[in-house]
Amino acid sequence: MIDDRDKLIAEAVEKGLQGDMDTINGIEDRVIRSKAKAALHKAKKVAKESGTGIEDSKEETASPVDENQSPNQIVFAYLEKKIPGSVIVQEGDLEECIYVNPSSWEAVSKLLRNDEILQFDSLQCITGIDIGEGILESRYNFHSMSLRHTIEIRIPVSIDNPKIYSIEQIWRIGDWFEREVYDMVGIIFEGHRNLKRMLLPDDWEGFPLRKDYETQQTYHGIAIPKVKEEWE
Amino acid sequence: MGVLEHKFQDNIVVEKLDKLLGWARSTSPWYFQFGLACCAIEMMATAASRHDLERIGMMPRSSPRQADIMIVAGTVTMKMALRVKKLYEQMADPKYVIAMGSCATSGGPYWQHGYHVLKGVDLVVPVDVYVPGCPPRPEALIEGLLKLQEKIQKQRPLTKIDS
Repeated sequence: MIDDRDKLIAEAVEKGLQGDMDTINGIEDRVIRSKAKAALHKAKKVAKESGTGIEDSKEETASPVDENQSPNQIVFAYLEKKIPGSVIVQEGDLEECIYVNPSSWEAVSKLLRNDEILQFDSLQCITGIDIGEGILESRYNFHSMSLRHTIEIRIPVSIDNPKIYSIEQIWRIGDWFEREVYDMVGIIFEGHRNLKRMLLPDDWEGFPLRKDYETQQTYHGIAIPKVKEEWE
Repeated sequence: MGVLEHKFQDNIVVEKLDKLLGWARSTSPWYFQFGLACCAIEMMATAASRHDLERIGMMPRSSPRQADIMIVAGTVTMKMALRVKKLYEQMADPKYVIAMGSCATSGGPYWQHGYHVLKGVDLVVPVDVYVPGCPPRPEALIEGLLKLQEKIQKQRPLTKIDS
């Protein structure tokens, strides 16, 4: 029995070194699978240190862990490769963030969460910003607990039709984050199961963090004075 | 009791009923435990052992039905304003309100730009005593409570008012 297991692991590692990960992922027993993965990782390390033979697979070179590039640059290139046209090229370098096309955000978000070498399992913050000139932005800070890398994603949308795919069911923490952004900036997250105001009362008018926000004059008969001279 | 003990046949106090009621009301005003912001910390400190509100007969109640005084301690947002009003309406008469701190008095630091802050709790409920400060120290709150006690004692709930 034990011989069988060792043999299976050895075979899988051999295949894995040749770039065929399906064999390992196809092992049904969870314990054997994880052992095989560990053995593969070790074998790759040994091969790398000795400098001989087997090249790392393409995916491995794109891994943010062992590169000098910033995570943003690596993830930008990776997304461009996986989903062409999903990222927006902007001026300057990618030190700060990656701009993602709102139309491909659904595919990109699922890739970020599930991809083997991205593994962004932690959504840390969503910020909504009105950056003026009719553009609203939703900014996401992602962190990978397992691979320890961090990126920032920004999605610009027009103020006339501010709709972004909701990632509430991909990262559950996104539920309240998206509600707060909707509350303050008025970005509508499509597919959110409970998109209502977070902090302000439900019957409040307008979105306070927009540049063109005008405070309402009364709320349920209570005056909200705009000009305050006569009050003083 | 010492020197007075066992010196009298029957204990009789002669006083106007109005004044007696005022005395009774003023010496055990239970307040509504109702903190909204940083002022609530000072209110808690006032109730805690160093300043000890219970020595003037005040204890916090968690239900508006059992409270005589509502201390509005902190920033009242528009969302909360409706709740404050509802809570005030749930209190039994006679009821009194203390606006504690600059937020409850006038909106405080949110006077100019706080679109969501009520500019003084007196817009929704009648206020008896304003305690300034940001936040007021426990001594200031106690001063306000003593002023309120004076006010209660001066009230004449039974006296006929000539119209």
